[in-house]
Amino acid sequence: MVDEKKLQDKAKETLIRDDVRRLIGWKRSTYGYEAAPAVLTDASQADQLIFDPTCVQNLASFISLEEKKPVARGAEPDTRKIAVMVKGCDSRAIVQQLVEKAYSRDDVVVLGIPCMGVIDRRKAEKLFGETAGQVSAKVDKEKVAVDIEGDVKTVDRKDILMDKCLRCRYPNPLVSDFLLGEEVEKWADDDFADVDDFEKMSPEEKWKHWDEQFSKCIRCYSCKSVCPMCYCVECVVTQLKPQWTRRSTDISENTAYHIQRAWHLAGRCIECMECQRVCPVDIPIMTLNRKMTRDVKEMFDYEPGVDPEGEPMLASYNPQDPEDYIM
Amino acid sequence: MAENYRPKIGVYVCHCGINIGSVVDVPAVVEYASKLPGVAVSREYTYMCSDPGQNLIKEDIEKEELNRVIVASCSPRMHEPTFRKTLKEAGINPYFLEMANIREQCSWVHEDRDEATEKAKKLIEASVAKALLLEALEEKEVDVIPSCLIIGAGIAGIQAALDIAEAGFKVYLVEKTPSVGGHMAQLDKTFPTLDCSACILTPKMVDVANHPNIELMTYSQLEEISGYVGNFKAKIRKKARYVNFDTCTGCGVCAENCRLAGRIPSEFDEFIGMRGAIYLPFPQAVPAKYTIDPQRCLQLTKGKCGKEGPACVEACGPGCIDFEQEDEIVEIECGTVIVATGYDVFDCRRKPEYGWEENANVMTGLEFERLVSASGPTGGKPILGRDKKGEGGYEPKKVAFIHCVGSRDKSVGNEYCSRVCCMYLAKQAHLIRDKLPEAEITVFYMDVRAFGKGFEEFYDRVRREGIRYVRGNPSEIYRKGDDHTMVIKVEDTLTGTPLEYEADLVVLGVGLEPRSDIREIIDLFKLSQSTDGFFLEAHPKLRPVDTASDGVFLAGCCQGPKDIPDTVAQAKGAASSALILMAYGKVKVEAQVSVVNPDECRGCGFCVEVCPFGAIELVDENRMGNIVKVALVNEALCKGCGSCAAACLSGAIQPRSFKDEQILPQIAVLGVKP
Repeated sequence: MVDEKKLQDKAKETLIRDDVRRLIGWKRSTYGYEAAPAVLTDASQADQLIFDPTCVQNLASFISLEEKKPVARGAEPDTRKIAVMVKGCDSRAIVQQLVEKAYSRDDVVVLGIPCMGVIDRRKAEKLFGETAGQVSAKVDKEKVAVDIEGDVKTVDRKDILMDKCLRCRYPNPLVSDFLLGEEVEKWADDDFADVDDFEKMSPEEKWKHWDEQFSKCIRCYSCKSVCPMCYCVECVVTQLKPQWTRRSTDISENTAYHIQRAWHLAGRCIECMECQRVCPVDIPIMTLNRKMTRDVKEMFDYEPGVDPEGEPMLASYNPQDPEDYIM
Repeated sequence: MAENYRPKIGVYVCHCGINIGSVVDVPAVVEYASKLPGVAVSREYTYMCSDPGQNLIKEDIEKEELNRVIVASCSPRMHEPTFRKTLKEAGINPYFLEMANIREQCSWVHEDRDEATEKAKKLIEASVAKALLLEALEEKEVDVIPSCLIIGAGIAGIQAALDIAEAGFKVYLVEKTPSVGGHMAQLDKTFPTLDCSACILTPKMVDVANHPNIELMTYSQLEEISGYVGNFKAKIRKKARYVNFDTCTGCGVCAENCRLAGRIPSEFDEFIGMRGAIYLPFPQAVPAKYTIDPQRCLQLTKGKCGKEGPACVEACGPGCIDFEQEDEIVEIECGTVIVATGYDVFDCRRKPEYGWEENANVMTGLEFERLVSASGPTGGKPILGRDKKGEGGYEPKKVAFIHCVGSRDKSVGNEYCSRVCCMYLAKQAHLIRDKLPEAEITVFYMDVRAFGKGFEEFYDRVRREGIRYVRGNPSEIYRKGDDHTMVIKVEDTLTGTPLEYEADLVVLGVGLEPRSDIREIIDLFKLSQSTDGFFLEAHPKLRPVDTASDGVFLAGCCQGPKDIPDTVAQAKGAASSALILMAYGKVKVEAQVSVVNPDECRGCGFCVEVCPFGAIELVDENRMGNIVKVALVNEALCKGCGSCAAACLSGAIQPRSFKDEQILPQIAVLGVKP
């Protein structure tokens, strides 16, 4: 487990540095099972920082999302670093962003946190009901102790952790400048059972399934806004010239949007599950991403967000690449 | 300028003789097109590409003040340049042309007249939709540096170098091995005229070394090439010979005294002859300068050579040997490049059933060339099985030649015909008949392809010399007992008889393959390969020496198997293509290049990675005071292939004339409208 005192001390130490502009971590929220992001600019604010299984959000998204404000004439742009706290899964986002040259390694200070799993809000609500109170949690071996306003409940970790944690292969950050806490042992593996289940459906069943799911979509674009890999200056789905997707929320346009979103993540999705987590209408968005992840792995032996020195899959070519899909 | 007015489109539908007219109802298509939005003129003509056809367009442009032209005919690959010129001559921007391909994509592939006519209408309607959105593009010219880099100094590279040098332009001729000459220097006689290969080649080899316009760099390798047509920059590694190039007289005393003399298999003699660690690849080598093999030399590998130190140093009068010598990197600039990297012969280890690796009397055609060559290890005597001192051995009594080893053979991945084996085997059969009048000589063939000038006559002559041709492709060749008798298992497919033919010399007619290190050249020049693995030319018929990279030309077997006359002809073709650019001194660059919208670019560099021409780089861009990386296209290098646009997630890079917003309305016309 991460010692919060040490974490706060490291954060202070980092914020004091002249070359650090701000630090992004987690703090207690006022809305239940998920901690809130904390964007700090001063060392005095560091006491609010926490890390426990409620720290679900992938903070790597903020690095590339940060708006670059116009610089006054004659003034120098602020090129100081951003410090960010990441779990194992979140660190893959940083790796992939580096592969895609979203920023350079010198632009960030990565505070890595070994993680034993984070809580799935939807699962917790099913178990303990909705809450707006303060929640904290602790993973102890195979159990998770959830403290809701002082009321401690213990459940099996399989019943409350995010699906991604149940198949987590990278509990320790793949990239970090400082590691907060001891490295933890990997306890799960990924057999793509979820993709197998999905593939068992007939094409008609799949079509019906997605028809139902995509009809719910209100096109709030939360999934793309939260995605650490969606950081184009102007996204093609909202572009007007040419207009690939119309703004109306009908099944045709919604489907087009979701296919486009999934395809643009082929070989790029690092499976942080943020898209599905934030979906207000519970569309199982990750199913498409997961299918894509497995295809990419099987066809091109490629896994995004693992090797900072690697090439982006869609921009690399090997004469041995499979061509079975060419008829 | 008429270009800025409201679009006024002329549609010209071509009959292409009966190519289009017999399947598509051209008058109906013309009628349909005349009613499309923006169309002012709609006409038909038998051959639009002919002079009267083009004049029709020119007249309309002048009289009707057309500012967009659609030609519905063949593929733009065929006549787009033709009609662009027409537009230019008539005074409007040549990129206001759009072609609707109603031949390859319609009349040639459809039979139903009504459906084909409907499709032709749709294709033209789609072109009209795009024509409304066409932009005027500017054609630019860049200067061409008047020099040519030639990679590989076999007969192809030598010939191309001589032609260009004779025309008065500078040539940098780079050869990987210590001597020029390539495979041709290894051959004994050449078919079908039986000229001595060395006799016709060596004068040319000497010429390239002495020509004032040729800078010859042997034992050198191209490391890096950047730039674009007219303006290439190359880095060449001149490998250390450990012998002072300027003072070496080529006397050969060093090699005689080398402690390893006669103990290292010679590459030039296909490993059946021997050399020392300091060596001249062959007596006529150019330049006649000795080279130390850094992998074998005792002094260089072990730091010690005998008790008294290296004998070569002792022996060399002018004191040329310098073990401290290092590789040298030379940087040059050139306007054109000719790739003439040649071929490898098929590696018989991939056909283990023929027993080449285990049996010294099963040899490849190239090994046989060295065996019968006067400069070869046996002085041209066909003697096999000699001991290490070069004594003993036997003359073969029964000789078998096998066709198509590693060619026309799917099992080894080579479906193509190597084009030279039929004739070189016939020549070799003739040579052995000459040297061994009593020998029994049999050739096992699949087909005999004697297609060239004088080939059939030569093949006839060889057959009349008592050489038996048996049609059959051996399944296995193995040693019988302890002596040197080899058994060839084969079916005579003309009589259907299985044979077990015995021979004491088997020559495998090995085919030609792409160089095993072809990948390095591909990566340097971003060249493409055809399915057989050789370099792909820009067009199989009309641009056989060009590549998709402008200013880079192909000569010789690196483009596909060829005999010497074809290689020389292609080398002269490549030289002439390079000369056209250098003589004119300027080159037009593609106008339909990709263009980046720097405001939308996120600087991920996907386009940089996928660009097959290395035309894109990431540069700093000042975005409201913040420095960000964005893509920038080098217009001289870009060919407008569109790979970048496919890779770009935000649509920030687009090829001109093929922008999404220009193509989408086209697709909308072709698709089913809601």
